[in-house]
Amino acid sequence: MKAAIEIESLSKIFRGRGSDDIEAVSQLDLTVEPGQVFGFLGSNGAGKTTTIKMACGLVQPTTGTVRLNGYDVRRQRGQAMQQIGAVLEGTRNVYWRMNAWQNLLYFGRIKGVTSGRILKARAEQLLRELDLWERRKDPVGEYSRGMQQKVAIAAALIADPPIVLLDEPTLGLDVQASRTVREWISQLTKERGKTVVLTTHQLDMAENLCDRVAIMSRGRLLAHRPTTELLDLFRREFYQIRLRGSIIPADVEMMPGFSASQENGHTVLAGAVSEELSVFDLVDWARRAGLDLVSVTPAEPNLEEIFIELVERADQAPWQDSGVEQNGSYSRAISEIGG
Amino acid sequence: MLMTRTVLMPGTVLLNECYKRIILLWSYRFNFLTETFMIGFLFIGISFFVSGGSPAPEQMAPALLGYLTWFFAAFAIGDMSQGIREETQTGTLEQMYMSPLPSGLLLAGRSAASLLVSSAMVILVGGILMLVLGIRIPVRIEGAPIFALTISGLYGFAFLLGGATLVFKQVNALSNLLTNMLLFLNGSFLTVERMPVWLETFARSLPTTQGIDVLRRVMLDNLSLASVWQDGSLVWLIGHSVIFLVVGWGVFLWGERVARRRGLLGQY
Repeated sequence: MKAAIEIESLSKIFRGRGSDDIEAVSQLDLTVEPGQVFGFLGSNGAGKTTTIKMACGLVQPTTGTVRLNGYDVRRQRGQAMQQIGAVLEGTRNVYWRMNAWQNLLYFGRIKGVTSGRILKARAEQLLRELDLWERRKDPVGEYSRGMQQKVAIAAALIADPPIVLLDEPTLGLDVQASRTVREWISQLTKERGKTVVLTTHQLDMAENLCDRVAIMSRGRLLAHRPTTELLDLFRREFYQIRLRGSIIPADVEMMPGFSASQENGHTVLAGAVSEELSVFDLVDWARRAGLDLVSVTPAEPNLEEIFIELVERADQAPWQDSGVEQNGSYSRAISEIGG
Repeated sequence: MLMTRTVLMPGTVLLNECYKRIILLWSYRFNFLTETFMIGFLFIGISFFVSGGSPAPEQMAPALLGYLTWFFAAFAIGDMSQGIREETQTGTLEQMYMSPLPSGLLLAGRSAASLLVSSAMVILVGGILMLVLGIRIPVRIEGAPIFALTISGLYGFAFLLGGATLVFKQVNALSNLLTNMLLFLNGSFLTVERMPVWLETFARSLPTTQGIDVLRRVMLDNLSLASVWQDGSLVWLIGHSVIFLVVGWGVFLWGERVARRRGLLGQY
């Protein structure tokens, strides 16, 4: 089956003054299969939005290609743009002085829908599904933040594109609105077979929604795996070690990747083991420190813990020169997790 | 099918842009009416000032013709610089650039919509001023190609500013300066022949000056197209407009390329 999105050797260097060039995305290779919810995760400045904008043809890559359903964004722009709808982060995306109905008709025509009958039917369907039909004639500026975001999503879907790119779709939304958007994203893939790519800082949402995730840091891909597989891999690395008594903070600093907490007179160490610090090293250290070992149990990591762990490892690795895959402390995680 | 789409698409784009423009204009109707009143009032004020307090209708006809042409310029410049800047901030420009349609077609549609709306406003303001002040501007078909040439050059100039806005963003002050400069230097109230040579040379290089000059001679002095061709003023106007249009379009395309390279389409 043809990939929905194929990204090959994609790089973006923003030229600064003198030697202040910023490598926002570096040699990214990525494939998104059709019908999936794909999560793009990373800290601020990781390169997610730049990648999304390169996929939308809004930022020109320095090297590499993006193909949407086989169409090259640069060389077959018209066909490629028919494949996507996008809601971009930090902006309104639609006209707030116009009402929801007017926005959908305007953006539908901009996106090449020439039949008025089809356009109106789609606009009505989208507005009804998103509970906006009753207020379709009110200016979007008078809506709540959640409703405004729904209009932006509806505008992205008005031409019925097979791929939907959502950059931080729940940013600034209250719990209720965020839930509606999440449910709708799930519905888009399950009931309509759309491919959804979303960037988010809400890792619980990514864990629940995404079939596959890619984790980026400083423009590089740290991991690219099905969500369940990523959780399984880290399940083998996450441990909870319970010790009787207290340990001093300096001891915790000697255990990178672990955090300590107190619970019923016990010290609970939780974190991921690594090549430098195995579970046996920890047990040995506790014995030598005269601390009674109560229990050692594998912990159930969530995506947030995995994300923090991966990004911290990447930050500690001197990868600028040696390359991510070749770095010692990082190599095991990457060789297992990386694309 | 493809043929039908090719024919239908520009029409759809034009109507779509007009649709948006009218809705947005209506949503700012109080501002719009105030500005329309101000434009009319400004003309009366300047005319009184220039004529020493007793403007004669026959003297005001050339001034009104120039003033209305300037109004087109103000509208086009505002649309291309301020309009693009606002759309960059709101992210609607990025949505426009995600269209499968060529950006040139969308830009042309946008310009045509701007021209239609400004024409409606000019007819309204001009009509009221003519009625109130008793000014008569004869309608002559020969004026149509001159008007089209003037507007083409004017939109070329607006594209130039639009391209600069995509890259530099803060060209608001510059576009205001140019709009005001056009009002006082395009010969609406003070003919360019009465300016010092250096200023006349500069004024004639501006986008609407030559157009207004030829338009007046054809519309008000009843000169034929052949005579303005023979005296070289029409040739100069054609060259002037073509240069502005080609350079302006080129600068806009350059601005688009730079904005895509630097990621500026959604950044202010």
